[in-house]
Amino acid sequence: MTLRHVKTGIVLGSLVALGLASSATGQSATKIWSSDPVADRQRLMKLNGASWADAQAKLKAGNAEAVAVNAETMLLIATQIAALFPEGSLTDKSKAKPEIWQKWPEFESAVKTYGMQAEKLRDAARSKDQAATEAVAKEFGRQACGTCHTPFRVPPPQQQAPPQPQPR
Amino acid sequence: MIIGSLIALAGAGCASGQKAAMIGSGDPVADRQRLMKNNGANWADIQNKVKAGNIEGVAVNAEALALHAQRITLLFPEGSLTDKSKAKPEIWQRWPEFQAAAKNLENRAGTLRDQAVAKDAAAVQTTVTTFGRDACGTCHTPFRVPPLQQQPAQPRS
Repeated sequence: MTLRHVKTGIVLGSLVALGLASSATGQSATKIWSSDPVADRQRLMKLNGASWADAQAKLKAGNAEAVAVNAETMLLIATQIAALFPEGSLTDKSKAKPEIWQKWPEFESAVKTYGMQAEKLRDAARSKDQAATEAVAKEFGRQACGTCHTPFRVPPPQQQAPPQPQPR
Repeated sequence: MIIGSLIALAGAGCASGQKAAMIGSGDPVADRQRLMKNNGANWADIQNKVKAGNIEGVAVNAEALALHAQRITLLFPEGSLTDKSKAKPEIWQRWPEFQAAAKNLENRAGTLRDQAVAKDAAAVQTTVTTFGRDACGTCHTPFRVPPLQQQPAQPRS
């Protein structure tokens, strides 16, 4: 910390000013996540994956209505995704492609598409219409996940047949 | 130089902090009610799964509670007490206690998640039994106006 202050002495003043500005709005805004955006977004996306797996299990069991909670969880999470990809957050632990920042508007719109699909899934589930929910779910992997993962994520090393996402 | 770094930092702040807190409507009362409804629905799902013996399946909902819990305090900016809100003014009078109560939910939900991942049925049962009082109640009792007719807690989705 001290070292950083020595190195960036000029910045220090503005840091303090900003700190004051953000506490003036009553928000401890930066406290929501850890300081590691890669870890944060991976945790977030794991919950998305687990919610999706739970939704599929419920659908298989014929319990379409119960899918609504998972879809709404995904929808609420979707509003956080773009913010967790600040520029320069590409580490060797990240599967993000640099295309995210080269084509940022496309990335943002992919996230938006994801949210819209999750909303469709939620509303179908809330209507307790098993067939309608299944129809949305059938397209979900390609239209919701794939729209972003195909252009913007490095594929997993070995694409297993339907991987069993771990709820963690 | 300073102005440059200010702009850069402000940009970074937008990217990591503020936007992350938003759910999107710009109305914090609607946003937090929506978030808390999803918390309630996840909690109902947890109870159903435990009843059905699906212990491992609880993990996903518990993790949702833990991540949602991190957003709670950000959705209670000062002055956001409208007639649609069930928030008590005590939230802002005793902000550190409110923060601690939200953190408590995050921690409890994390415990529940870990127990579910470990498939420890007995531990999950125990945590679920006390969750309403120890996780929800810690915040709802001091900081939320009780619902019109206090039913003996049967959370709905």
